[in-house]
Amino acid sequence: MIYYQKDIHNIVTLTLDMKGRNMNVINHEIREAFIPVLRHLQEEKEKSALKGVILTSAKKTFLAGGDLEYLYKATDPAEIFAFAEEMKAFLRELERPGVPVVAAINGSAIGAGFELALACHHRIALDHSTIKLGLPEVEIGLIPGGGGIIRLMWLLGIERAFTILKSGRRYSPREALQNGIIDELATSEKEMMQLARQWLLSTQEGRRPWDQKNTAIPEGTARDQSTAQVIRRLTANLARDTHPALPAPRSILKVLAEGSKVDFDTACRIESRYYTQLVRSQQCKNMIKAFWFDANYIKEGRNRPSGYGKFRPRKIGVIGAGLMGSGIALACLMNGLDVVLKDVSKLIAERGREFVEARLKERVARGEINEEQRTEILTRIHTTEDSSDFTSCDLVIEAVFENRMVKQKVTREAEDYLDDFSFFATNTISIPITRLAEATRRPDHYVGLHFFHPADEIPLVEIVKGAQTSPETIARAFDFVRAIRKTPIIVKDDWGFFAARVRNTYILEGITMLEEGYSPALIENLGIQAGMPIGALSLADELGLNMVMRYEKQAAEHYGPKYIQHPAVNVLNVMLEEVDRPGLKKRAGFYDYPVEGPPTLWSGIGNHFPAKSRRKIPTEELMNRFLTAQVLEAIWCMQEGVIHSIPAANLGSIYGWGFPAFRGGVIQYILDRGVNAFTKNCQRLRKKHGQRFQVPSRMKQILTEDHMANEKA
Amino acid sequence: MTINRFCASGLEAVNLAAMKVRSGWDSLIVAGGVESMSRVPMGSDMGPLLYDPEVIQTINYIPQGVSADLIATRDGFSRNDLDQYACESYERVRVARAENRFGQSIVPIYDQNGLLILEEDELLHPDTHLADLEALPPAFADYGDWGFDHMARIQYPEVARVIPMHTAGNSSRMVDGAALVLIGNQEQGTAAGLKARARIRSAATVSVEPTIMLTGSVPAARKALERAGMSAKDIDLWECNEAFASAVLHFQRDMNVPSDRLNVNGGAIALGHPLGATGAMQIGTLLDELERQNLSTGLVTLCVGGGMGVATIIERV
Repeated sequence: MIYYQKDIHNIVTLTLDMKGRNMNVINHEIREAFIPVLRHLQEEKEKSALKGVILTSAKKTFLAGGDLEYLYKATDPAEIFAFAEEMKAFLRELERPGVPVVAAINGSAIGAGFELALACHHRIALDHSTIKLGLPEVEIGLIPGGGGIIRLMWLLGIERAFTILKSGRRYSPREALQNGIIDELATSEKEMMQLARQWLLSTQEGRRPWDQKNTAIPEGTARDQSTAQVIRRLTANLARDTHPALPAPRSILKVLAEGSKVDFDTACRIESRYYTQLVRSQQCKNMIKAFWFDANYIKEGRNRPSGYGKFRPRKIGVIGAGLMGSGIALACLMNGLDVVLKDVSKLIAERGREFVEARLKERVARGEINEEQRTEILTRIHTTEDSSDFTSCDLVIEAVFENRMVKQKVTREAEDYLDDFSFFATNTISIPITRLAEATRRPDHYVGLHFFHPADEIPLVEIVKGAQTSPETIARAFDFVRAIRKTPIIVKDDWGFFAARVRNTYILEGITMLEEGYSPALIENLGIQAGMPIGALSLADELGLNMVMRYEKQAAEHYGPKYIQHPAVNVLNVMLEEVDRPGLKKRAGFYDYPVEGPPTLWSGIGNHFPAKSRRKIPTEELMNRFLTAQVLEAIWCMQEGVIHSIPAANLGSIYGWGFPAFRGGVIQYILDRGVNAFTKNCQRLRKKHGQRFQVPSRMKQILTEDHMANEKA
Repeated sequence: MTINRFCASGLEAVNLAAMKVRSGWDSLIVAGGVESMSRVPMGSDMGPLLYDPEVIQTINYIPQGVSADLIATRDGFSRNDLDQYACESYERVRVARAENRFGQSIVPIYDQNGLLILEEDELLHPDTHLADLEALPPAFADYGDWGFDHMARIQYPEVARVIPMHTAGNSSRMVDGAALVLIGNQEQGTAAGLKARARIRSAATVSVEPTIMLTGSVPAARKALERAGMSAKDIDLWECNEAFASAVLHFQRDMNVPSDRLNVNGGAIALGHPLGATGAMQIGTLLDELERQNLSTGLVTLCVGGGMGVATIIERV
């Protein structure tokens, strides 16, 4: 699994090639394979029979990250600590003063894989934009555990290391060079190996800065007042930019602050302690569950109708060059697809191109893509006012404004030019797909694709199945969404589908609290403290109170005599009918929206919904209600077949409306709290606050059924 | 011995001396404080409250200026309330200086050759008008934007936004200063030929929620009163350190102290707040004023960084 090859200059090339896997990963196996090799290299060096080592990979990736399945199950602190320390000892052995080692990074190196590269004395990467390098552990609530934090600090200083680690970004080799995490770029594998040899021939002994005398961490340590001030500012920034329940970014800063005051090996041990704490944390387990297990469940297509060959889209038509249409176009373009963007006139369609150009420019400025890529992407968009340009499209997505007649008209026009192999999608949120499909010639080839704003960024699409949509069309829609690297969730053609329907319960719960006499500031802050990205009242304004009310009315229609009016409806009636404050669009809702400056809570709220003075604010209970209301609605959605799997519900909630990822998503929340504890809590809330906290009858069954499905995976 | 109770170090030293004398283990002690804010900037001790991410995050420890703004926001004080209070402090200091009320407690400073360095306070005392104070920009808004506002709201979710209201004009001024108090028992005092001016009736230390931090004067004063078997109406004059205008207004409201009995000769907003010295200075200025007005009892209190409060009750003898 490690190929050893020595050349005439006494340079050894070690090539990683793990058996039975399509990529190299960091695990016990690879560590054990390395130990005798490293021992042999030291002996060679002592005999002066070794100049240096080049480390590279026979796979397409250089080295992928750690074993998430192991980390998900690990609970014993001593064992996790030992795991981290062993990993560190191995990397320390690799960089031990003596034999210089160059990492010839021929493919992606992520997480622990990149930590191995960091433990080499020199890093050269192939300049290919598909290669990704970085330490994305924070995304799953974790931190590097192989000494990566400490090495980065010694290479870049506390602040730069923190910025990189906190972002969790995966860098292209060029960005990696700009950010100082690699040393050189090579245009070809041949050049990379040449550069590596050159570096080794000019290097006598490999010795890292932290193994040299009279070296210091760049930009100072936490002992220095100016650096301490920086740490203080970064600590405050964390409160502003991240949720307090997200421990990983906080731990990174603590490791840096504490680790900067001690020697390298002690600092590494501090890292291991925080690493152990995070691996054991429920937040980390929840995030691994969502972003690894649930994401794989979706990727494997387990909700996709089976028996249909994989659809590979090449050319997509988009109708409507507004924000949504342009965003969809951009998402397609970024993933290598051709786009035909149509609007009523070429002039208006061109606005879509301008939007795309502006967004691409931003991406170039951020270093995500380079100039050539930008130019190439722009060659793939064609704007038009003529439906006949759709002739060779595999799929046409309509994203015009929410009017049934208009939507049906543009659909019919486009359909004339589509062949039998293509299908048609509508991006709607409030009009039933089945009704829209009535006007099409091929309702079986017609499907809803609900993108979220901003469409190029939000990684979720709801695939809405109309009454006549064929399973094959669903399968193809699924493949399309995967092709633009988003998460597809298949939902029923009911009001609000899944995301908007469940999200509405968060809004309604917040509005209800207003009527109960809680101050609007409290409602907004507690929503955010519960883990939501935005306050319930602010979200209501953004969406428009009419829309909030409309979903609730649709629910009333759906349940008929069984419907029990939500207490928020009274407040909505006052806001809409008495005071005419329907939300952001009219610059008047629960907030005022001055032309300049940030929105401020409407000062008149207190007159209509006076705040009651309470001896103690039940903050825990209010946060609990915010989340529980959503969780119960999600269960109803599963029970009514609106959504079909726990992974889809979890990821849909996280990506769709920002349900806290550290809770693992809207269903994981129950498993996280424990089914019995959750049920008891609901019973208590039901007694106090009404029937809406009733647990759906089939909840336990739904949870166990799917739990078993997960186990089989 | 050096002690650090931040803003109340001077008073803490006095209280500690009093405890030692009262216990009988010491008989005559010089206690007080020295602070050179010009040479030793705040935070020089690199303590974890300011610089350690773990401590800051765990207790949501925000800068004092933001805490002061948080108190003002929660209590509903307006910028104008704060400026009015500050303006009054400047005016009271002007009057006190004009009438030489601090005179008997100010000690000139000489160099090693006996040459005079300072005869009196070198801090400038320009005529200060409300309009001047109103023109000053908020001093702690940047800290809020860094994210300390968010920390404040985690602790106090009922606050929509911490409104930045404290300025260089309605917060205490940064100065150098020193003050000493001599504390002893009757026997030693008589033997040394000294005449006691006042006795310490009681002293108290409290801790409060550390995010809001600067509300400690209220429970400290209440605890000292209780210890002395007194009530608020038994106190003739009050000294509540003017760390920030909101801290005093909060104290005044909660303790229901009339304005003409509180900080009658102004305070740190106009005179400056040499952190470690202030508490001992207040004992001196309060006692001078009790004598001048021929009153009997006085209470000194300071709010303290980190969420503490210290108070001392004195009584003329």
